[in-house]
Order: sequence, then C-alpha cells, then structure tokens
Amino acid sequence: MKVLKIIKIVFLLIICHSVSAQKYISKEGTISFFSDAPLEDISAINKSVSAVYDFESNDLVFSLFITDFVFPKSLMQEHFNENYLESDLYPKSTFIGKVISLNNDVASVKGDLTIHGVTNRINVIGSLIKKDKVRISADFKVQLEDYNIEIPKIVMYKIAEEIEIKVEVELKEIK
Amino acid sequence: MKKIIVFGVLLSSFIAKSQENLLNLLGDDNEPMYISYLFKGTKVVNGQSVELPSKGVLQFTIQHRFGTLNSGFYNLYGLDNSQVRLGFDYGIKDYLSVGIGRSSAIKKIDMHSKFRIKRQIKEEFPFTVVMNSAIYIKQWQSADAQLEAFLFTNQLSFTNQLLVARKINRDLTIQFSPTMVHYNLVEKSEEPHDKYSVGVGGRYKITKRLSLNSEYFYQLTDKKNNNALSFGFDIETGGHVFQLHLSNSSAMIAPEFITKTNGNWLDGDIYFGFNISRVFTITN
Repeated sequence: MKVLKIIKIVFLLIICHSVSAQKYISKEGTISFFSDAPLEDISAINKSVSAVYDFESNDLVFSLFITDFVFPKSLMQEHFNENYLESDLYPKSTFIGKVISLNNDVASVKGDLTIHGVTNRINVIGSLIKKDKVRISADFKVQLEDYNIEIPKIVMYKIAEEIEIKVEVELKEIK
Repeated sequence: MKKIIVFGVLLSSFIAKSQENLLNLLGDDNEPMYISYLFKGTKVVNGQSVELPSKGVLQFTIQHRFGTLNSGFYNLYGLDNSQVRLGFDYGIKDYLSVGIGRSSAIKKIDMHSKFRIKRQIKEEFPFTVVMNSAIYIKQWQSADAQLEAFLFTNQLSFTNQLLVARKINRDLTIQFSPTMVHYNLVEKSEEPHDKYSVGVGGRYKITKRLSLNSEYFYQLTDKKNNNALSFGFDIETGGHVFQLHLSNSSAMIAPEFITKTNGNWLDGDIYFGFNISRVFTITN
C-alpha cells in the first residue's frame, strides 16, 4: 500500500512539475552554414528550425529537416540532398542537450548532435538571453568526417572538411 | 528498499522522457515528405522525364545523334553522320517550365511547356505527375511558301503527354508516359491525325553519379514504323549532366521518335547519341 502511495505522490509531482515548467518553443529558428571553397563558397539557410527550451530542467532540443535548407543554386541543393546528406535516408537532424551553465547570458550547452544518421556529443558556447522571450545564438564548427559525409575526389565544388554553422533562434513561452 | 527502487525507476524514466517529450512537443513528424530527384535530367533518354529545371534556372542542352553503328568503317560506324538539337529550358516556377529547341536534319523548331500537377509524397501519394505539351514547326524556304497549296498550319504538329513516375526506392524510378501525337498534315488521307502511344521508361542508379536509363515507346495506333527502344547512361559531374545512349531512332523530338522510327535493333540499326546539359542560375 505504501508503494502505491509513493507512486501516487510521484505522479502528482510529475504532473505538478510539467504544469509549472517554463517551456519555450520556436518553429521558425534559423540555422545556416558556410563552407570556404576555392572555386565557389557554399552556403545554405534553413528558416524552419524547431527548438524547445525547458527553463526548469535546462533541457534544450533542436530539430530540422535537411530538405528545408535553401541554397542560392538549386543544383547545389540537389547535390547536398542526394549525394552528401542523403536526406531520403536521414530526413532530420536533431540536437538533444542541456544548458550546463549560464552566466551573464553566456551559455554552455552539451548534448548529442545527429546529422546524416551519426550522433556525436558536442559542446557549444553560445549566448542565451532570457527576457519575455528566449534568444539563443551560437556559432560552431563541425567536421564532415565525424558525420560520415563523404567528399568525392573529383567534384566541381571543392568542399572544405570543416563547415561553419550559425544558429539563431527566438523562442516564445508556451502557455 | 522497494520504494526507493520504484521511485528511482520512475524518476529515471521521467528524466529520459523529458527530452523526448520536448521533441514530441515540436510535432513535426506529420509534415508531408516530398520525394524529389526522380531522374537526374529533364529527359529519360529521348522522351521527357518528370524533372523540370528549378525556378530561375536556365538549362542549355546540346544533343547529338550519329548514324547507325552498322554503316561500316567507311562512315566510321555512323560518326560521320551527325545531327544536332540545341535547346533551352527555363524554370518559371518550380512546377512550370518552358523550352525551345531546334533539330538540324529535319529542320524543326519545337517549343514545349511542362507543368507539374502533383508530387510523390511518402506514404501519401504514390506518383509524381507532369503534363508535357509541345508544338513543332517545320521550317520552309521562301519558294515553298509561294506554292498555292502551302499552308502554315500544315507545318505544325503537336505532342501532349502525361508523365507519371514513381521513385520505387532511392535507386529505381519507373515512368509511364501516355502520349498523343497530332499531325496537322498526314501523308495519306486515310492516315489518322492523332496517334496514341504509351512510353515506359526508368532509371537505375548504379552509383551516386551514374545511372542506367531505358525507354520504350509502344505505338497504339497506326503502327507503320518501329517502336523506339533506347538505353543510356546518365553521368553527373557537378554542373553538367552527360547522357550517352543507343537507340533505334535518330530523332530528338517526340513525334519523330515515337511515330517515325525506322531502325531495327536486331538489324543493327542502332544510333549512338549524347545529350549534354548545363544549368545556369539566372535568378533566385
């Protein structure tokens, strides 16, 4: 009987917790990337990034569709989806992490970044400004080989091994 | 002790769940997943594929067809004899493109438009459906135009086709192309002006940048010529797509290769040909 009581209490706690938790959400975040290349720079922008931040638990989650990346040239976009990111097999990229410290709007975030079906633990320092909305911005780099993204030897667009990623999201409180 | 375990299990499951719940909160799993890139090029081999140049993209295509492989060493197995079609295609919208081209040997100018009616959506809609409509104008010389029997409308022919394709898996795409060719002028009065046919084509990706394509047009009406059967490779090299192929037709426009194919594969009347296309991004 005591066990049952405890379960009840725990459930109540969970319910209370989820009700009181301050959660912020966005579905229009921006993630762009840039790669220096000798012939032609490669850049793309995704303006439909989803993100949720739980202020209580410090959980921070991002999710995006690879096909939402828009390139200045549609042929690049085709190659990106077909040959590099294989978006038919791996349609989504996600980040599941936690804000581990927050001082003077400078946040350190740690978590699992999944691209091209490969998950790596990463650490990113960015800015997290919380007023009535939460603004998150960060710059970081990823190595293509960490995510099994192959670059063929003979291609017109020589692609750098390292890609710069820029994150810009404004999250609103869920009411 | 028991209580602690129960509590612990509940708590840990709750913690693991919380981040997943956050992901679920995003609720983006229900978005339709469009299937793209059914073919590498806007043509399967000779016939149109369901692919269109993207919005703002100008595609320049150079097509060559040589003579038959069985024409002997004297003609370098057909290479001495070549005809060419130069074509431009432009994407007005992602679902609408227009094109113009000219074929050398038969001296015909062709104009066409492709309109994408529906896209294949994973688990929702099985096909990509495109309407292709074309008009062909046979060029004439001023002496021809002075003849009493000359009529501009007699120089025209048309093609309307529905292109229905399905990407079966990431490598294999199959396309059906029910087609109607209309001639304003036919050779004999008993010959029908409308000629129906159905095309079956497909591509199989061998590597990320190489695919094997094949295409067959079966004539349903007035079958006085052979059916066109073609095989080819698509090779993608970044900005260009090269298509190398063998066909029993040397024509590059639909009325010709569908209803006027003379070559027979078994007799060795096989034409080698290639298409090279290059895209230019004009506007975003």
